[in-house]
Amino acid sequence: MALPPYRVDYSPIIDRPVIKWPNDARVAVWVAPNVEHYEYLPDLDGQTNPWPRTPHPDTQQYSYRDYGNRIGFWRMLEALDNNNIRCCVSLNLAVLEHFPEVAEAMVERDWDFMSHGIYNTEYINTWSEDREREWYQDCIETLRRHTGKKLKGMFGPSGFSSVNSPDLMAEAGLIYHSDWMHDDQPVPIKVKTGKMVSVPYSIEVNDGLLFRHHFEGDYFVEICKAQFDQLYEEGAESGRVMCIAIHPYLLGQPHRVKYLDEALSYIMSHDGVWQTTADEIAEYYIANNYDQAVAHADRFNK
Amino acid sequence: MPAERRLGMDHDHYDWSPFTKRGVLRWPEGSRVALCVIVNLERLEWEPPDGSFQVAALSGGVWPRPFPDYMRLSHRDYGHRVGIFRVLNVLDKYGIKPTIAMDAVTAEHYPYLVDYCLNHGCEIIAHGISVSQMITSEMSEQKEREYIRNSVETLKRATGVAPVGWLGPEYGESTRTPQLLSQEGIQYVCDWTNDEQPFPLKSPHGELFALPVMLELDDVNALWDRHMAIGKYKEILKECFDIMYRDSAESGRLLTLNLHPWLIGQPFRIRYLDDALGHMMRRQSVWAACGSEIIDWYRSNPPVA
Repeated sequence: MALPPYRVDYSPIIDRPVIKWPNDARVAVWVAPNVEHYEYLPDLDGQTNPWPRTPHPDTQQYSYRDYGNRIGFWRMLEALDNNNIRCCVSLNLAVLEHFPEVAEAMVERDWDFMSHGIYNTEYINTWSEDREREWYQDCIETLRRHTGKKLKGMFGPSGFSSVNSPDLMAEAGLIYHSDWMHDDQPVPIKVKTGKMVSVPYSIEVNDGLLFRHHFEGDYFVEICKAQFDQLYEEGAESGRVMCIAIHPYLLGQPHRVKYLDEALSYIMSHDGVWQTTADEIAEYYIANNYDQAVAHADRFNK
Repeated sequence: MPAERRLGMDHDHYDWSPFTKRGVLRWPEGSRVALCVIVNLERLEWEPPDGSFQVAALSGGVWPRPFPDYMRLSHRDYGHRVGIFRVLNVLDKYGIKPTIAMDAVTAEHYPYLVDYCLNHGCEIIAHGISVSQMITSEMSEQKEREYIRNSVETLKRATGVAPVGWLGPEYGESTRTPQLLSQEGIQYVCDWTNDEQPFPLKSPHGELFALPVMLELDDVNALWDRHMAIGKYKEILKECFDIMYRDSAESGRLLTLNLHPWLIGQPFRIRYLDDALGHMMRRQSVWAACGSEIIDWYRSNPPVA
């Protein structure tokens, strides 16, 4: 009954083993700032062009992103710190090499680091298996060298992964993949070796998509609150996950930062919130829920 | 082929019929507005077969991307795993019997959802093979016939009942689709977005009706294609209903709402739908019915001059 890519068993959310988060929290909330670097003159693979507006360089768009690291990141920190948020940064790992002050600010706050690739202008969907395999070692080593931390998961660079990514990630010792937008709970992902789960990221509660259109900070607050309220209600029965995906070059703009503060303080004013990271969600789920979830899903997928 | 300049339509699917020239349509028990909610259970395919047609900017994920597009695939899968249950809960709360447009891939691979829909009293209508394979005029007649037969037969196998309604993936049709549907036993089609009442389609193979959808209220059209704020969507649902209710004093209207659980079933959206449907169902004289109930009534009680 399974369908390609044969990675996920069907499992309806209304008929699953109950998830109990630490301290009986209803919602595990993870905040994912995308700290990125887009290359000035990226190699092109003939499929995806990060700067389609002009021949390269596209100074307007390049520098718009760069604003995030120079200005927006620091302003965004104020809203995060105000609310004592420990982030799970979706990180282009080369940022650690290019911009040490940004690295230091993140390490100082003991954030967790989810790989978002090395640069946001590399598209691994076209890569050979060997090239991708080596690249994970680079990602792991770069993170370890600059933060001392072990890499546990990935949201594909620019949201791209290859057909092989889950297998290769698991082989390299990673435990979660956030390219899946399919659920409000972690979900086991089938891989050749080891255990892998999805910790769903959000492309809807995400400034990167909202602010491409006519939406502004007030709408961001409105949907963050509505998203949280619904998950909080349902989380009374079984734990839910809420991801808030943000970008320093967007929410770190002067006219937006107060809305990030407002959304976070609304959420953090509730009891029963586990403010955590994708690393911790994945570890907790694998330790407490994974085996039961796999066994349970078998019944729907015979 | 350019239109022939003559009275009426530039095709033979139905007759020209302005609202002002119609007889009076009466719904059961003096109802004024018939409300039909179609809920799409449609699957995006990881690698659709060669030659399949998928609209260029198909909704979901971020923007059109090269293979493999994990984000769009999984975003849409959210509907099957999570969103559908929220949507059906809301419909159940107001006693609205859902019309589920289910594609063949879903019917075959999600027996849990088939059972769930049947146990919750839903009507299930055919919805093609998958959203990655829509009908267009580039399909040969034979291929289109096989496609329709496959959709209908798969649904019949999965549900035990032959579907009588049809909504094409992305409303897709060739010029011959209505006739081919009629030959496969379909009695009503939801691909046409041009009216606020059912109307007859011409078919030499048996009675066939259009159950028109309000395209601007389709959640994909409003929320995805036109990036409408969810609060505004709630408002237009209410305003649309209020005006249809006002206009139905003389002759009944039909409000068909086409929804996609991967989109409207997201946590931050569902309460807005709940609120809008609550507004509609609090009015007296609203007939919330599934597609076949509406068409059966219309067939037996056509507008009277």
